[in-house]
Amino acid sequence: MVSKKTMSQKKKKPAKKDSLNEEIKKLKEELKEKNDKILRNIADFQNYQKRMQKELSYVEELTKEKYVSELIDLTELLKKALDDKNPKEGLKLMLNNIDKFFEKESIKKIECLGKCFDHNYHHAITTVEKKDCEDNTIIEEVKKGYMVGDRILRPSQVIVAKNNIEKNNEVKKNGKNNRN
Amino acid sequence: MGKIIGIDLGTTNSEVAVMEGGKPTIIKSAEGQPYFPSIVAFTKDGEMLVGESAKRQAVTNIEGTVHRIKRKMGTGEKTKIRGKNYTPEQISAFILQKIKKDAEEFLGEKVTEAVITVPAYFNDNQRQATKDAGEISGLTVKRIINEPTAASLAYGLDKEGDHTIAVYDFGGGTFDITLMEVGEGVFEVLSTNGDTQLGGSDMDQALVDFLAKEFKKEHGVDLRDDPKSLQRLLEEAEKAKMELSSTLQTDINLPYITVIDNEPKHLETKLTRAKFEEIISTIVNKTEQPCKQALKDAKLKPADINHVVLVGGTTRIPLVKKKVEEIFGKKPKRDVDPMECVAIGAAIQAGVLSGDIEKDIVLLDVTPLTLSIETLGGVATALIERNTTVPTKKSKVFSTAADNQPSVEINVLQGERPMAADNKSLGRFHLDGILPAPRGIPQIEVAFDIDANGIINVSAKDLGTGKEQSISITGSTKLSDEEISRMKKEAEEHAEEDTKRKEKVEVRNNGDALVHGAQKTLDELKEKISDDDKKDIEDALKELREALTGDDTDKIKEKTENLTNVMQKVSTAIYQQAAQQAAAQQQAAGGADQQQADSSDESWSGHPGDDDKTIDADYKVKDDKKDKKGK
Repeated sequence: MVSKKTMSQKKKKPAKKDSLNEEIKKLKEELKEKNDKILRNIADFQNYQKRMQKELSYVEELTKEKYVSELIDLTELLKKALDDKNPKEGLKLMLNNIDKFFEKESIKKIECLGKCFDHNYHHAITTVEKKDCEDNTIIEEVKKGYMVGDRILRPSQVIVAKNNIEKNNEVKKNGKNNRN
Repeated sequence: MGKIIGIDLGTTNSEVAVMEGGKPTIIKSAEGQPYFPSIVAFTKDGEMLVGESAKRQAVTNIEGTVHRIKRKMGTGEKTKIRGKNYTPEQISAFILQKIKKDAEEFLGEKVTEAVITVPAYFNDNQRQATKDAGEISGLTVKRIINEPTAASLAYGLDKEGDHTIAVYDFGGGTFDITLMEVGEGVFEVLSTNGDTQLGGSDMDQALVDFLAKEFKKEHGVDLRDDPKSLQRLLEEAEKAKMELSSTLQTDINLPYITVIDNEPKHLETKLTRAKFEEIISTIVNKTEQPCKQALKDAKLKPADINHVVLVGGTTRIPLVKKKVEEIFGKKPKRDVDPMECVAIGAAIQAGVLSGDIEKDIVLLDVTPLTLSIETLGGVATALIERNTTVPTKKSKVFSTAADNQPSVEINVLQGERPMAADNKSLGRFHLDGILPAPRGIPQIEVAFDIDANGIINVSAKDLGTGKEQSISITGSTKLSDEEISRMKKEAEEHAEEDTKRKEKVEVRNNGDALVHGAQKTLDELKEKISDDDKKDIEDALKELREALTGDDTDKIKEKTENLTNVMQKVSTAIYQQAAQQAAAQQQAAGGADQQQADSSDESWSGHPGDDDKTIDADYKVKDDKKDKKGK
């Protein structure tokens, strides 16, 4: 009996070892596969990034073409207006056309004169002391602002009335490109 | 785990970047800008504004707007705004909160961790304050790193062994010079210097002054007195400054700049780079002394500096680059955007910390040259374009070029030239046992699979029989740089003639296919074609066949078109006839056949009767270059 038992134990051990080895081999194989898959996914993503970049510049080109061709038409007409002794009527029509184009592209002017300053739509260039109107009223438009749909294309640049100009003059800098 | 973002928390503007797929990406603000103005404001109504909107209202709300809070970091000095006291950490935290929010919007996931940069000269207090600001904003600051270190990381200078780096940071409002030593990826600051009141906006101002003075000389009016004119002048000066970085002269045209005695006036002038450089030279020269002092403090000579890194938009100006070269005696590095490189470096550091960057993952190879196979007429048909990141797999289905073609040859090519013979052949093999079928019918899928080690497995499988053959090619991505650039250069040099040659082959292939298709139609449908039509086809066919024996591409093209037209006319007639008859199906099948034959423009030149055995499937390309270059 005893010897039989040891016999069977001896037999069992290598079997267990074999199955473990088998398991290790299987896991190693699986790990290798998974690693390869991860690398492939990353490579796929990088290739996708490259493709998107290419597509993006292509789309950019197309968009540019669209707007530039409008500009070209306008340039040709402006040249004619320049030679015209009385260009007013022509210029008016051209402006109408530009307005129509803007409308089609949902580009809207931002109205600002006489309104209360709103940082969502307006960029204050400077303030002027003025007592005969409400504080923060826009009294001058330096550059017209525009919206594209609901997004700001560029804010109106404005001059704002102040009832009392603060003494504090520390923040007079208005350089737009103070990046560092 | 979420992403860790890298933040360049600047005095006037802040930038943010993140690693995506092993590459740094600049995060845009909700307003669509690649930067965030470092400005915080509280309006009268108690609303808090950060960034662009705070900037827009700054002059109308002087007492409620805080600029340049970075300068107060670590001082503990409180700022009183609308009756409430704020520490510099709190103000900075508002900026970081805005950055966090916009970054989350941009990435579409929560962001809770960041790497933030600080100037090299920041002391422990200032660093701690920056860290605290991060924590207040809800960001765990994984690391604070020096701005010049980040810039060097963006250039990968941590990987180049021991050397000394000078980081010349010339921004909109400040100038910093930092000398560092790097060894085994560790950066040590040797010395720093700078000027906190010197920057690109001084140049804009100098240019505005110049233009205003010129205008005054002519018209007697100072444009700077009118805020409207001044604003336009400022914008134009900035534009001119940027333009003169790439051109030698620019026109400054400001129509209707002002009105004098009811008469509109325009500003119209030309500015040369030389004149511009004269205007800004005193500003640029002011950077020299701090550089010399920094060298002296570090006990270094200009010749000891191995690399010069440029940071800040102002370093785009050629005169500035020249000055840097003059000071350090070597060309500065500048292929990373100087405005973004600090944020990019911070993102790279963040990537390392989050484990996104491990050598084997991020540094995936790309195929240096296009991989293709030879198809009918000796054309190289690309499977994997150059610069594709590997590992990758691409497959394409091809067909035979002749009726009953029993085998196809796969010639694996590397290179950019459109014709197979001009590229390097990496190996070739045959797939045989293709069942007898008309040309264009068998479907043979060719797959290129490049693994992460650059080993290419090319397999060809007959989708009809399931028969497959493959080879494995090693060392294809390990071409020497010279070899790659030589091949690219050759491709560029021969681009025009190559296109012509390829077109020639394509025209011939199209002609061939059409001859084949037309003959087939003629044979199959002879009862349905009128004698006149038959003669038309036969004539056109004969002419095209004749043309194909010669070498005149235009003639082949012309005759191909001619035959196409005739065939179209005839097939239209057949279809009309078919519509009248009840048995429409049979004829339709004939038409489809012809179409198939026409479309088989990608196929091998046939080897009918070729019963060669498949070439050694384990064929390897000898990689002797590797041995030479290996070390």
